[in-house]
Amino acid sequence: MNKVEKVFCKDGLLSQAIDGYQPRDAQIELANSFWQAMNDKALLIAEAGTGTGKTFAYLVPALLSDKKVIISTGTKALQEQLYHRDLPLVKKTLSAFRKTALLKGRANYLCPYRLDLNRQVSEVKDKKALNDFTKVSKWANQTESGDIAELTDLEEDSPVFPLITSTIDNCLGKDCPRYEDCYLVKARKKAIAADIVVVNHHLYFADLAVKDTGFGEIVPDSDVVVFDEAHQLPDIACEYFGERFTTRQMLELAKDIELEYRTELKDVKQLGKAAEKLNRLSKEFRLLFPIDPEKGNWRVKSQEATFNDGVNELLETLSFCYEVIKQCVSRTKGIDSCFERICHLQAVLKSVTDLSKVDVSLWYESTHRHVSLNLTPLTVADKFAPIRTEKQQSWLMTSATLSVDGGFEHFTELLGLTPHNTLVLGSPFCYEKQAMLCVPRMIPEPNDREALNAILDISQQLIKASGGNCFLLFTSHRMMNLVANMLERRIDNTLLVQGQRGKRELLKQFMAEESAVLLATGAFWEGVDVRGDALKCVLIDKLPFAAPDDPVTQARIDNCKRNGQDPFSKIQIPQAVITLKQGAGRLIRDVNDNGVLVICDPRLVTRGYGESFIKSLPNMRRTRSLNTAINFLQEISE
Amino acid sequence: MSQILFYLLPETDKAPATTVPAHIDFACRLAAKLYRQKSKIFIYTDNQQDAELVDEHLWQFEPESFVAHNLQGEGPKFGTPVEIGFKPPTSGRPILINLSQNMPDFIRRFNQTFDFVPADETLKQQARERYKQYRAAGHQLSTEPAA
Repeated sequence: MNKVEKVFCKDGLLSQAIDGYQPRDAQIELANSFWQAMNDKALLIAEAGTGTGKTFAYLVPALLSDKKVIISTGTKALQEQLYHRDLPLVKKTLSAFRKTALLKGRANYLCPYRLDLNRQVSEVKDKKALNDFTKVSKWANQTESGDIAELTDLEEDSPVFPLITSTIDNCLGKDCPRYEDCYLVKARKKAIAADIVVVNHHLYFADLAVKDTGFGEIVPDSDVVVFDEAHQLPDIACEYFGERFTTRQMLELAKDIELEYRTELKDVKQLGKAAEKLNRLSKEFRLLFPIDPEKGNWRVKSQEATFNDGVNELLETLSFCYEVIKQCVSRTKGIDSCFERICHLQAVLKSVTDLSKVDVSLWYESTHRHVSLNLTPLTVADKFAPIRTEKQQSWLMTSATLSVDGGFEHFTELLGLTPHNTLVLGSPFCYEKQAMLCVPRMIPEPNDREALNAILDISQQLIKASGGNCFLLFTSHRMMNLVANMLERRIDNTLLVQGQRGKRELLKQFMAEESAVLLATGAFWEGVDVRGDALKCVLIDKLPFAAPDDPVTQARIDNCKRNGQDPFSKIQIPQAVITLKQGAGRLIRDVNDNGVLVICDPRLVTRGYGESFIKSLPNMRRTRSLNTAINFLQEISE
Repeated sequence: MSQILFYLLPETDKAPATTVPAHIDFACRLAAKLYRQKSKIFIYTDNQQDAELVDEHLWQFEPESFVAHNLQGEGPKFGTPVEIGFKPPTSGRPILINLSQNMPDFIRRFNQTFDFVPADETLKQQARERYKQYRAAGHQLSTEPAA
């Protein structure tokens, strides 16, 4: 028995420390393989079904080794759970002395400089925001970490957050008068000195893409990287190796220029003009697009003269500002930072509108107030994989949903990963007994007009049988809202609809109420953990193929076709399989959980590709009879 | 004229590990095999209940033996490789799997028909009747043990 096995075995440290701990073969296998990969400086890709205990499986070897380990996870919430709950527990169990650190992105830390600045010239006008500002000021005097997550009584979208945190654009870096007090710098220093650092994927890639200068030192300096929730990597990697220009950046720049003008550089009248022009032009650019938010291919959109002209006007404005600000360079630190941002914005805007680039998707997206122009590379294979080999790092990539048809090609090809070891570890749950998958008979095809009514009827029957405690997951907001509106008239259960409140709030209410029904899209397909009877039934409206109008997907599809491959089997199916696995994964979270998964999409049965989905989903009992599913629900609800 | 092959089921009335009658289980496995060979098949039953039994059984096959199929009235416009129904088929297909107790009157539209002689006495008697009807209608008949 090796060091790792000893911890996990029957009389090992874990069973001494944790009540009810049971050694699990899959967990030990994962821990062992990871231990091996660490020693071989190898890459291990492992799918570990829900309930395998993959967190402990990587924490134990990480704490036992003497290497510097980075653990990157999907979201801030998971990061906190890992750092504040799991890591201390395992550390204590092993009596390990390894130094640990939690590192988040810049936007999570208080910036004392900006807090001071905005206290002087405050744009905060309404009462609630002022109130928030007072709370922040009070907290700022006593916080040790400067992590704004400590401000629990502020709403997540409080307007004060942008005023008290920095962005890469407005940070003064080493020139900042409050550099000594900078919480971000402190957190980074702590991370550099630590043996185990918990980050999230966004931060990892921001660091890697060295967009955030002065920081690209943490990732390269490690021996081991663990990517949890690794299925998210391809998309996030593409995002970070891409470029993005937004009118928001322009507006913020305009604001900061004006701030400099009104405080330190009152003599330079042109600055006021520059700020005003920047502000106006970025708003006018938004107005070129329709009122309702949309997303599309920039290569197509830019064919229209108005948009092409719009970009040229933006460029002209930027060069005007460039000339004005150039005159003020080195007068204040703030204006120097503005100058750098102007240069950066010019470069990015040129890049994201450069139609001669191949192998990238150029796309735009508008929100109610802003427009972004984006460049996303179609593959990151050439950029991502070499990092591991160059640095001789060992990597563990793990997730509950990584394989399609038992293979990982769709994942490894996108990231250029080769060679590697793989593991597929089943879940300890007995899905055949605990869960049932139903694709009801005679439901219309998803694009059929009657589909809505069918989904409504089925939802109503399921909600009745389970007494609420249902998730209805949708692939579009449109369908979600239609069903929500019509269900409201048909049932008495509390309906919680995504968008009514924040995600955390909705989930809290869902768990607090006896018989609530939650209707949601995208964000709720992942990372939602509702155990026990609070969630007995998950309904999915249709197979989650990426919207065909998503410009990046579209560009990948075109690229795949150019290479003579079939984009449907190569891109769209694997992506939808992973998403469906995530959605289905909400249902069974524990050995004692029971539940029914209903997928209102006959294509799962009637199309050949249904095989890929069925092979990749947990092995639930399958039925096509809604009555059988309803009986099962009634049984488990008794 | 159709080529008709009768499979003779062995003398146990239940297929192992399922509650589905042996000849229906065998018919479904046959459909799965033909599906892998990319054939297009119509499975004909006497009634809705039997059609749904076949549907349910195919859907519960182990993932490696997945069969894309539909009941009459659902699925894509031109059907799927395996259509199940208790009404005459509307689209042309080369292969018929007959689970009905009577000779289907549309049988001439199929090049190949598979039928079954179950072990159950009543069903076996009905199969014999069908055999005679097929022969009288001039189809080419052969038998083979189901294995």
